[in-house]
Amino acid sequence: MRFDDVFVLGVGMVRFGVHKQRSILELAREAGFAALDDAGITLRDVGEAFTGYMQAAPMLGTRIMKEFGLTGLPVSHVENASATGLVAFREACRAVQSGACDVAMALGFEKMTELAAAGRERAPRAPGHAAIDSVIMPAAYFALWAQRRMHERGTQPWHFAEIAAKNWNHGALNPNAHRQAEKTITPEQVLASPIIADPLTAMMCCPVDDGAACAIVARGAVARRLGSAHAPVRVLASALQSERYTPGHTFLGPVVGPASMTRDTAREAYEQAGVGPEDLSIAYVHDAFANEELEYYELLGVCAPGEAEKVVEEGQTKLGGRIPFNSDGGLIARGHPGGPTGLAQIHESVTQLRGEAGRRQVPGARVALAHLVGGGSVCTVDLLRRE
Amino acid sequence: MSGSPSGARRVPIEAGFFTIPEDRGEAPKLLASRCGRCGEVYFPRRISCIQCYARELEPIEIGPRGTLYTHTYVHVPMFGTSERDAKGYGVGQVDLPEGPRVQAVLSGARGDFQIGMPMELELEALRETPEGDEVVIMRFRPLAAAARA
Repeated sequence: MRFDDVFVLGVGMVRFGVHKQRSILELAREAGFAALDDAGITLRDVGEAFTGYMQAAPMLGTRIMKEFGLTGLPVSHVENASATGLVAFREACRAVQSGACDVAMALGFEKMTELAAAGRERAPRAPGHAAIDSVIMPAAYFALWAQRRMHERGTQPWHFAEIAAKNWNHGALNPNAHRQAEKTITPEQVLASPIIADPLTAMMCCPVDDGAACAIVARGAVARRLGSAHAPVRVLASALQSERYTPGHTFLGPVVGPASMTRDTAREAYEQAGVGPEDLSIAYVHDAFANEELEYYELLGVCAPGEAEKVVEEGQTKLGGRIPFNSDGGLIARGHPGGPTGLAQIHESVTQLRGEAGRRQVPGARVALAHLVGGGSVCTVDLLRRE
Repeated sequence: MSGSPSGARRVPIEAGFFTIPEDRGEAPKLLASRCGRCGEVYFPRRISCIQCYARELEPIEIGPRGTLYTHTYVHVPMFGTSERDAKGYGVGQVDLPEGPRVQAVLSGARGDFQIGMPMELELEALRETPEGDEVVIMRFRPLAAAARA
């Protein structure tokens, strides 16, 4: 969907990590107030809210919104697995674009560490999911993708290690990142970490963590009236697609989903936004496992098919490279609590486009892409631009 | 299947996905659907065709043999099992000649699998129920190993 007049008014987040002593309400409250303060507004100004979480209790989003006020505003809950945060953001943008409201809020939160603890006893399985496909852990099915890539393209595990090391090192520059290594991480260290699912090692996988993040969007007139000190950031377009059937489709088991899903979704977003991959300054992708990021270089059109390994070898996606990917550390280092992950991508996109990213600032960053896949069954891509 | 109590009744981890032959030496089959109009085959079973939207799908059984499309070996315990399984397990996707690509656990050691190799279905005992039934799940093993067994 193309947006004609939607701007990001404010962003806020809680550093991702293991927040054992803090409730999900506290985390969500901190991120929400940070975004409201960044926007310079209160809940009185917000016309509609979308909360994103994967595993929490029914109505939790509506209960948490009461922390900011009780104004009668409509509150809806969005869930799309790993893509949840970006889809909540998309819904907020659609609410503004449609004219339903002038200002909308997207708030994501999650305590994934509590879910993971439960998962040690049995598979983390929701009602309605088959027991038969719950025995395999997520790393396995992304490893299947990596093995196929290695078979077809001669990709080596160190290509994946290079990407992981890059994201660990980007995370070290981000105060909101879960993993902030004190020394530079090398691909050798990544390869030497414990093997999880061949060829993925522990340091190529995202951590389990908790967190919250929030973004507030508004019509341009509202943004101008409030007179923000920040550079204005426009949301150009958002695309969301589910799977398309092709013969040989894998239905059973936790699966990656067809690779074409990311290609098709990105193509739709580019067409709607009127920009192409050549226009991107920065990109944020679903690097829950390092081999995914390599595939997305091609599927997002940042390089030609078969050239992703060269992109890695030449360091094109590091800070300082041609097009930095996951400047905030990505899912691997910034973290991946679930519900708030996409809103952390928006937080970093906006911080970069405003020119406020400090030591990890990409000079002159103008166009950002945020991408997530969810549950192997959906993909979403947003495009943002500094005006 | 070696090591399993031969007299125990075998029950599926979830009904509707695979057969459990009376003869323990016989390979199981997958419960699939074939579109009566366009012939597309689906696993698991469904009631409508994705290609032509017909509702006339007939239940069929497919397998037990296919070709390994991709594989990995997982080095942490399987969800829902005990620490005795901490040795790890294979996971793969197998292309069946009938059409579907099926993702399942693989039987064998790390290094036993190669893309393109022939595979065959078998049943693995996961645990026992309090009633003494054996809970089984389907998995694939390299056909060469199946022939040896």
